[in-house]
Amino acid sequence: MAEPASIVIVGGSLAGATAAASLRDVGFDGRVVLLGAESLPPYERPGLSKEVLRGEQPIEEQYVRPAEWYLDQEVELRSGTRAVQLDVADREVVLAGGERLTYDRLIVATGCRNRTLQAPGTSLPGIFELRTAEDAAAIRAAVVGGARVVCVGMGFIGAEVAASLRTIGCDVTVVEVFETTLYRILGADIGRVLEGIHRDHGVAMVFNDTVASFEGDRRVEAVVTSAGRRLECDAVVVGVGTEPSVELMAGTGLDQGGGIPVGPTLETGVPGVFAIGDVALHDHPVFGPIRVEHFDNAVKMGVTAARNALGGSEVFADPHWFWSDQYEHQVQMAGFAPTWDRMVVRGSLEERSFCAFLLDGSGVVRGTVSLDWPRDVRRSFGLISAEAPPDPLALADPDVDLRTLVRAGER
Amino acid sequence: MAEFVTVGRSDEVTEGEAVAFVAGDEEVAVARVDGDLYAFSDVCSHRRCNLAMGGEIEGTTITCECHGSVFDMATGAPMNPPATEPIAIFPVREEHGEIQIEV
Repeated sequence: MAEPASIVIVGGSLAGATAAASLRDVGFDGRVVLLGAESLPPYERPGLSKEVLRGEQPIEEQYVRPAEWYLDQEVELRSGTRAVQLDVADREVVLAGGERLTYDRLIVATGCRNRTLQAPGTSLPGIFELRTAEDAAAIRAAVVGGARVVCVGMGFIGAEVAASLRTIGCDVTVVEVFETTLYRILGADIGRVLEGIHRDHGVAMVFNDTVASFEGDRRVEAVVTSAGRRLECDAVVVGVGTEPSVELMAGTGLDQGGGIPVGPTLETGVPGVFAIGDVALHDHPVFGPIRVEHFDNAVKMGVTAARNALGGSEVFADPHWFWSDQYEHQVQMAGFAPTWDRMVVRGSLEERSFCAFLLDGSGVVRGTVSLDWPRDVRRSFGLISAEAPPDPLALADPDVDLRTLVRAGER
Repeated sequence: MAEFVTVGRSDEVTEGEAVAFVAGDEEVAVARVDGDLYAFSDVCSHRRCNLAMGGEIEGTTITCECHGSVFDMATGAPMNPPATEPIAIFPVREEHGEIQIEV
């Protein structure tokens, strides 16, 4: 295929901006248009639940590139511009307002939206979600100076928000449908370790319960749960999961609930159209078709998609990695393990310092989770990619360098 | 005036590891790869995490454990995002079992 003349990227966040930068890094000097629905230039979102929410860093410090970079690099950043439709036959993106943009290659990085709670009173003022800089600013404005806050959902967003709000002096109560924190991703054993940390920091936690309704006159005053608890509060932050934003792909057959399906090289079934980041349901060579919402994945898919849009055929095989900062602690995870047969721990759950390996029925390491033990997560990348079943005793021994187990497995 | 200052002993930096030192006002990391020393800013240009603390060395690159940025220790160049800016590098030498850095 001839070198494309123009590449349009839909989605002005980390994945999209990284793709734009990577196109320039590898010397592409054609037209690059980066469409962002939000009014700000692309920014990194991890700080929204932490430094930005706590008021320690302004949003400008989270920008993926300085605002002037886009001008310097002749990347046509169009913030506040929503793409609403795709015309595959004519290779055009239709913008809200009707303008049509032609592309030779299209990179879709539309990300996710938050799930909303269907409960009476859900639209009362004082009930927030967190996805954008605007959301973070609104929460901060409502709670600064100390407030009683209910966090609904104790996944990573809920856990980080709860930690940040405790840190700035709020009273925090959590309502979580599962039996402990981070249960769905990390399981009960590790979830309880995090639960203990939050408890020690004074977070009140209600598990195995859900929101029945929100009460309040002019703004939210209480959360009523299915079990009949009434939790009085000044504000609520809802973090109950996400769904991929696939509407742009309507009519292409790619607007699937699980994300936009892409092959190993990140190209969709429509030639010349790629999808990356949170929205991409990627046929991963090790894990099969998966969709993840990790920062690192957004970066790396952005880099790979840029190369492949210019004629490369690089298979994206990253073992996946993310972190979560809560109080003075850091969780890290590599791999992909929705379920596992056995967990092998080096370090100690009780002492809150460990690296846990999640093994499937064949003894293959599918995921690695650490608490304040990051080195071995990074060192397990090769092990996860190689799909070799290492000796569990070696996994549990902190003195064994995980990188040597990969080499043993390869032999 | 740039000059070499002693920051530590040679045996403090073992093969394949990065160690944090202070040289003047600078937080400097020193790493040893195939016997050679590399001295560079210990502060990641992305979000100011310390690179020596947990940074994983592969060849002459170091990966920041916080957010995954990769730097070439020889040139300071960012090799993988999220970092987009280079880190400072410093001339380094070993004299009489001591590590000296020019700052």
